[in-house]
Amino acid sequence: MTDIKHKAFLFDATRCIDCRACMVACSVENQIPMNKTRIWVAGIGLKGEFPNLTHASMVYHCMHCNEPDCLSACPVGAYSKRPDGPVEYDPSKCIGCRYCMNACPFGVPHFDYDKGLIPGAFIDKCNLCPQRIDFGQGPACVATCPTEALAYGERADLVKEAHARIQAHPDRYVDHVYGEFENGGTSYLILSHVPFQELGLPDLPEKPIKDVSEEVMGFTIPFALGWGAVITAVAAGVAIYNKQAETREKQAETTAEDAEEPK
Amino acid sequence: MKMKLNVDMEVVVQERLRVRPLVIVLLALMGIAFVIAMIRFVNGIGAVSNLSSSYPWGLWISFDLFTGVAISSGGFLMAGTVYILQLKQFKPLLRPSVLTAFLGYIMVVVALLVDLGHPERILYMMIHWNHTSVLLEIGICVMTYLAVLAIEFAPVVFEGLKWQKFAHFIHRFIMPFVILGVVLSTLHQSSLGSLLLIQPAKLYPLWWTPILPVLFFISALSIGLAMIILESSLSARYFRRGLESHLLEKLARAIPVVLAVYILVKFSQLVISGDTKYLFTSGMMSILFWAEIIIGAVVPMILFSIKRIRSNANGLLAGAVILLAGMILNRFNVSWLAVKHPDPLTYMPTFMSNVHYIPSLPEVLVSVGIFSFGILAFGLAARYLPVFENEQHETHSASGD
Repeated sequence: MTDIKHKAFLFDATRCIDCRACMVACSVENQIPMNKTRIWVAGIGLKGEFPNLTHASMVYHCMHCNEPDCLSACPVGAYSKRPDGPVEYDPSKCIGCRYCMNACPFGVPHFDYDKGLIPGAFIDKCNLCPQRIDFGQGPACVATCPTEALAYGERADLVKEAHARIQAHPDRYVDHVYGEFENGGTSYLILSHVPFQELGLPDLPEKPIKDVSEEVMGFTIPFALGWGAVITAVAAGVAIYNKQAETREKQAETTAEDAEEPK
Repeated sequence: MKMKLNVDMEVVVQERLRVRPLVIVLLALMGIAFVIAMIRFVNGIGAVSNLSSSYPWGLWISFDLFTGVAISSGGFLMAGTVYILQLKQFKPLLRPSVLTAFLGYIMVVVALLVDLGHPERILYMMIHWNHTSVLLEIGICVMTYLAVLAIEFAPVVFEGLKWQKFAHFIHRFIMPFVILGVVLSTLHQSSLGSLLLIQPAKLYPLWWTPILPVLFFISALSIGLAMIILESSLSARYFRRGLESHLLEKLARAIPVVLAVYILVKFSQLVISGDTKYLFTSGMMSILFWAEIIIGAVVPMILFSIKRIRSNANGLLAGAVILLAGMILNRFNVSWLAVKHPDPLTYMPTFMSNVHYIPSLPEVLVSVGIFSFGILAFGLAARYLPVFENEQHETHSASGD
């Protein structure tokens, strides 16, 4: 995507100190109840043998894919992609089918399993703090990060910045910017010093996941019309054939009778 | 006069006594399911089920949606055979198949009303269209086809009510609905497979393939045929009426062909995609795969190829049950057992970590209750409506021809 002013996050795992201030800031800013969260931070613990120990932690939240699978999957169009990046969810359309949760390769959307019909159970996910970014501020998680492990800005700039960091310290980073091309590119870019799989990130192709199902969906209408026409033709053909067979039989009977009568 | 009345009453009482225990059990199971559904509507899905953020779809989708739709495919098969191909000899099987399909789809919709977060918004699918969503296509097809099935089954109800005029009226305009029904069924039977195309990172490669819709449609055909055999055999036993064994034998003859095509397509796909390497090396996944292929396709294909088994009532029933067990395992595999979700909240270092989902008892009871409704409704319809009735004179006229 070469959109102008397409915004994105950059997360640098080498800078994250696992303080989880971003989780708190997000929950306060977006009034998330205590038992829920839109961000989750996971440490993968100490790895290796002393003195060569590595430690990493990863801040997960919605990847704001450029080609969102949740948006493709939602039957009622409750998801939308803003031209400046955020993938947004509109609870007023949601029917609670949870297909988006199946579709998301990152396991991002969460559902209110503890709510009945009266309070209403909805999907919850990061919506990129529109109440802040629309007024020129960064999202709450980025604004509160003490080590600048999280950054927010134009996607093109952040991609450049990420590659610059790798080039400046090739010994420190895995030479890959996760999210630059994965699943058609995401608006949450990740730099890491440990393999991305260890951070729990799926190995995704550059071709967006949703492409296969959308291609198949594209056949629906032509197939329905074609198949309908074929069946109608078969039905008509069989009906005509049977009628002709009937009349032929009758004719045969009458001619047989005619032939018999003179005797 | 008095005597006669007494005799009549005695007969009625005896008949009721014969069915009562089963009816009571079915009603009790439905009642339990109803209570659980109410708890779910008040306290949320989490209060009764083991569904989680990692496993958003569970038994209600695997059994009630995937299996429920598949076992209802006999309806469009028989409607197509009798009305479109005009193979009138199969007419005795038409009404029970349409009834099974009609009830099957009602059960699907009832289960979805429990499973959806916002059941009151189910008709949003008819208003807000996201044309890239496979689920939208399924939603629209299932709801429309339910209406089509209601129209196809209506003549039976009208005949039962002795409203022959209405029955004839519908009968005159049935063809467009039959064609629509076949098209809708083809579409959504296959798109149930397309539903899983969005999960290449989650569904095991032995199952995930772009031709899932094709495989789903072919297997649905075999499931539909087996289901007609099963429901005819069981109702023949339960209602002590004659079994249409000569017709079922003809149906059973088609099953090996369908299954051979299925096996051929499935294994060609594995060879072409290069996924054959998973066939024997994936532990549990390999076992599940071979179980569904052997039970669902290979064994029934062999059984139904043998004429002696096909023309034997027990052989037919056994073959159908084996096929259904294997094919239902297939639906469970693709929608549950072979699906691995990431669970970031209880995060574990390897992606696709070992998060498990096992349905809770209330979840199972809801499915059981809905299924009980189906059985009870089938029984009532078979008893009080001319579902099987026209079989006698139909076979007579067929033999008379």
